[in-house]
Amino acid sequence: MYVAPYFILFRIHRAALEARRKCRTWHYVLWSVLAGILAGAMIAFGVTLVTAFWLVGLWWLAIPLGALMVLPVVLPPLIRHALVPLGLTRVTYWAARFSRPGADAPAYGACCAAWAFAHAPKPAAEVWLAQQREARIPLGDAEVVVTALMAAGKGDADTCRMLLRSVAMLVEDHPVVRELAGEWLAVDCAERGAWRELHEFSDTHRWPATPLGFFLEGVAARQLNLEGAPSQLELLVRFLFAPHRRATAALYDEAVKVQPAPAPQGDPETPATELDDAPTPLPRAVATHLMFGNGDPTAARLAATVRAWDAALADGTTHSWLARRALELDAPLGAVDRALREVAGAVTEELARAADRGRLGAPPSHGPVGDALARKLRHGRLDALETGFTRWSKRRLDGATRAAIDEWREFIALQAAYADAVNAGGLELRRLAFPHAFSTGSNMAAWLWNTRHEYALSHAISKWLLSEALIVGDTEAIELGHRNCRLDVVTRLGSVPGDVDN
Amino acid sequence: MIVDNPFFVLGLSPEASRIEIEREAQKLLGMLELDFADAKAYQTPLGPQPRTPEAVRAAVAALRDPYRRLVAELWARNAPPPRTVPRTETPTTSSRVGLRRSLGWRP
Repeated sequence: MYVAPYFILFRIHRAALEARRKCRTWHYVLWSVLAGILAGAMIAFGVTLVTAFWLVGLWWLAIPLGALMVLPVVLPPLIRHALVPLGLTRVTYWAARFSRPGADAPAYGACCAAWAFAHAPKPAAEVWLAQQREARIPLGDAEVVVTALMAAGKGDADTCRMLLRSVAMLVEDHPVVRELAGEWLAVDCAERGAWRELHEFSDTHRWPATPLGFFLEGVAARQLNLEGAPSQLELLVRFLFAPHRRATAALYDEAVKVQPAPAPQGDPETPATELDDAPTPLPRAVATHLMFGNGDPTAARLAATVRAWDAALADGTTHSWLARRALELDAPLGAVDRALREVAGAVTEELARAADRGRLGAPPSHGPVGDALARKLRHGRLDALETGFTRWSKRRLDGATRAAIDEWREFIALQAAYADAVNAGGLELRRLAFPHAFSTGSNMAAWLWNTRHEYALSHAISKWLLSEALIVGDTEAIELGHRNCRLDVVTRLGSVPGDVDN
Repeated sequence: MIVDNPFFVLGLSPEASRIEIEREAQKLLGMLELDFADAKAYQTPLGPQPRTPEAVRAAVAALRDPYRRLVAELWARNAPPPRTVPRTETPTTSSRVGLRRSLGWRP
């Protein structure tokens, strides 16, 4: 009876946090303030009750009561600021479980433990964490986040990023786990200066924001000069609510100094200096090519380089100069065409390597370089894709069973390869690649559902196949996809109703 | 294409005659044999590159072949002027190395 007000406060506190997760407006601040006041009230109530019990001589009751009432409130900041930086994997696991993060506390516990592991990776802790993860069947968002943070602990930021992004495809949804994943991704974007990416991924439904993530999203909006970006006062409030203020102060200062940028003139990524001075297309193409090789490969720079080469190699001045010079040098018959082919081939090889490195698609330019580059990228990626899908399906036929997380990693790697290939070849290549992806993917999805009982994983594959089927207009695949995606998905948080729009 | 272009390796303009090419190659080979510091690098539009006797011999051989000279001229004539300083990586001004770490995340 004495603890009833505490539980009422606890419920309202939890409801305030839940409400906060669903918004990214000024309501976020209001819910945060309310949650803070309620947390303070819970601590005050707990301390008062413990003191009262202690004074009447019930100290043996006061100690566990104190732990039960005060610890859940103080544990989240304790985990972030003390246990995780110390790398105490198991202690963090139990502390996170005890902080009562909602249904399926072990999921949050394992994620926080992986976070702590990332700070001080030890082989024994890795084995223990892997055991915790493997024991949890079927695979859900928490297991993917655990694996991602373990990869981060080994310094593999790319794998961590890829796995955390893939969480958005899974229907199992632990809000506290998604908060952690979203924060890592937001911090990662901030470190890389990828403000556009951070802004695009700030989706309320998939990634509820932590105070730090919410602040970084505000910084991104200011940096991009977006309409609806937070005002200076609003950003200050977000800054004050976020942890690690010493580290975020520089970001805040930078964001408030951002002035609205003037409207861009022309293509901002196409280098204008030097090139515009070039009198004929060929020197222009060589200069563009060298500048492209000198910086980070981007789609716009690649397109500009390919356009410049196509113009240069089709230019009459280039042909007439080559013909005259071939005569002067007494070059063999056909030297002009051969030289042009050789230049186009060498340029295409170099640009294809850069495009693969930067995961860029072929630009829509038609000419000796544009067409050859498109062909090369399309064939290379289609071949790699078919090999990958064949390997995936062969393993199922061989009866080789891997851990569910490895199946997931294989799928997202193939999906990324598919996206690259489609990016390079457009709808034409998508139509070529889809039948192979569909036959392998739907068989794998059925096997994972029926034999492995990996429902969330299977559902994610079916959803992806359905979205691709809709793009290429494959009616048979659409029908099957609809049937598969309508099945209810069993997760640790209960059954998620099947819905093609999930 | 650019870095190992015979004209850049020999430090000659694309208009150089066959005699000039032979004479320059002999001179460079002699200087390299005597370990002259000036001969150990050549300038290209992508910055200085190390010069070796093998590269010099390969450049002369390429320029003796009319077809290969045609291709080498095509590149050398249209390339921007050579740079005397090595190429530096373009700094990514917006990236903040170590921010993840200072915000409590790894790696």
